[in-house]
Amino acid sequence: MEYFHTDWAALTNNDWQGVIFTVAAFVAMIVVYVMVFNPKNKDAFESQCDMALREESEYNKSGDKK
Amino acid sequence: MIARLQKAVIRDGRFTLTFSVDNHRFFNLLSGGDTVEATKATPVKYDMDVVRWFTIAAVIYAVVGTLIGVYVASELAWPFLNFDIPEITFGRLRPLHTNAVIFAFGGCVLMATGYYIVQRTGQTKLWSNKLAWFNFWGWNLIIVLAVITLPLGLSEGKEYAELPWWVDIMIAVVWLSFGLNHIMTTAIRKTSHIYVSNWFTMGMIVMITYLHVVNSLAIPVDMATSYSIYSGVQDAMIQWWWGHNAVGFYLTGGFLGIMYYFIPKQSGRPVFSYRLSVLHFWTLTFGYVWLGAHHLQYTALPDWTGSLGAAVSLAMIIPSWGGAMNGMMTLSGAWDKLRTDYILRFLVTAMAFYAMSTFDGPVMAIKTVNALSHYTDWTVGHVHAGALGWMSMISFGAIYHMVKKLWNTEMYSEKLVNVHFWIALVGAVTYIVAMWVSGIMQGLMWRDYDEFGTLTYTFVESVSAMHPYYVMRAVGGAIFNLGTWIMLFNVVMTVRQASAVRGVNAVPAKA
Repeated sequence: MEYFHTDWAALTNNDWQGVIFTVAAFVAMIVVYVMVFNPKNKDAFESQCDMALREESEYNKSGDKK
Repeated sequence: MIARLQKAVIRDGRFTLTFSVDNHRFFNLLSGGDTVEATKATPVKYDMDVVRWFTIAAVIYAVVGTLIGVYVASELAWPFLNFDIPEITFGRLRPLHTNAVIFAFGGCVLMATGYYIVQRTGQTKLWSNKLAWFNFWGWNLIIVLAVITLPLGLSEGKEYAELPWWVDIMIAVVWLSFGLNHIMTTAIRKTSHIYVSNWFTMGMIVMITYLHVVNSLAIPVDMATSYSIYSGVQDAMIQWWWGHNAVGFYLTGGFLGIMYYFIPKQSGRPVFSYRLSVLHFWTLTFGYVWLGAHHLQYTALPDWTGSLGAAVSLAMIIPSWGGAMNGMMTLSGAWDKLRTDYILRFLVTAMAFYAMSTFDGPVMAIKTVNALSHYTDWTVGHVHAGALGWMSMISFGAIYHMVKKLWNTEMYSEKLVNVHFWIALVGAVTYIVAMWVSGIMQGLMWRDYDEFGTLTYTFVESVSAMHPYYVMRAVGGAIFNLGTWIMLFNVVMTVRQASAVRGVNAVPAKA
């Protein structure tokens, strides 16, 4: 447990900024994982899998696939 | 073709016969691809001239950059090649080699493909064609300045960021011109979705801007001298925070954008799992920034930073291999194309090397392995598995694909594409194997003790033992360089061939 001991009072502003950014990035990553693996979103994501293959004639006037 | 083009002009008054009334011979050689779009009865006219110039520049820099690499590798094998001329010693030419292959060749590939993909997937022309030309000439001016300053010994001494402070400012301005243009072109796209390749490119743009500016902060003394605002261990940490993220976001993220567009295009197959590609992007983006400290194991850095770097490095195998599998599985149902499609061979082989280097790297980050591998040629072998096998192979595939599309023609010689593929593969493998064996041997010799606890080998003995492998590396590099000459010849002949065909077809239009 000694290894994990942290002197919280000694943390500077920079330290706190780093901690907050790190935790925020971690949470954001979890959000992305949940969003991507949510079965409800599967079709929405996979509908774009052939986007690179669509040539100009395959687009409608708004630029989306016909 | 002219008749079809005239129809296009009737349908859309914006089209003009710019390719046939341009009298400048060199420009004529490089222009013409817009007619491809015009003949497809589409309202979109892309700005592809700047892409053509970036593509040709990339091919030339591939030849020059690897040629300098062969020379510096030869200097290590046969030191007399220094000829006691300071400007061509290893210490000065090595950064010239790395700048030429990473920023000249790699940069031109990334900018060519970045502008190509963002237009085609967004169904829109560039936000600013003039800014793209500023980007092209500015980037090439920086390369010229590198060619002048580095052999003269003007260096900040930071790896992969050697150029003087005032060139660093120019890099920031020109890089931002690329970033602004790419992001704004994405903003004015006509499609609702932003294709994953553009996410990778924009991620690279944002992160490299941040990394370059922070790493380059220095106090200038004169035009040739500046001092980093960081010192000691902080300087080392910032250096490798930049160094490894340049690998992560520029040499990996940027080229993954290329992979996700050109493998589906060349194979005619949709991305195997688009969800996985999205996950691949975000995981790399969140994860890569933690890895830099693994370059500094067993140094003055706090021990936990190296542990963190190693742990996240190992975790990164998962998204990296997921992405590699995604690229390979995109060929599901089209594996037979590898028999006949030589461009696809480049692209798929690149994925194999990507998987290999993203396993090799994390293993080397583990402290136990790092104790053996650090400071040895194993690192050089690992870097070149990425540079020759992954980055160059995916670039060559993309370049061949784009040349055919941009000039609306077939390659001058498909056989030469195949010859280039095998030469590049043999050269890369020869180089990498030589460095792996040499590196492990070095590590073992340096740490070998006799029964009295003294070193078994002197350092000079280890250097001497490396000689055969250094020769083998120079040979492997030379073979790889030969392949780039073949590509240059093939691309030039293809462009000339397209230009000749267009010249014949353009005569009636002029009349």
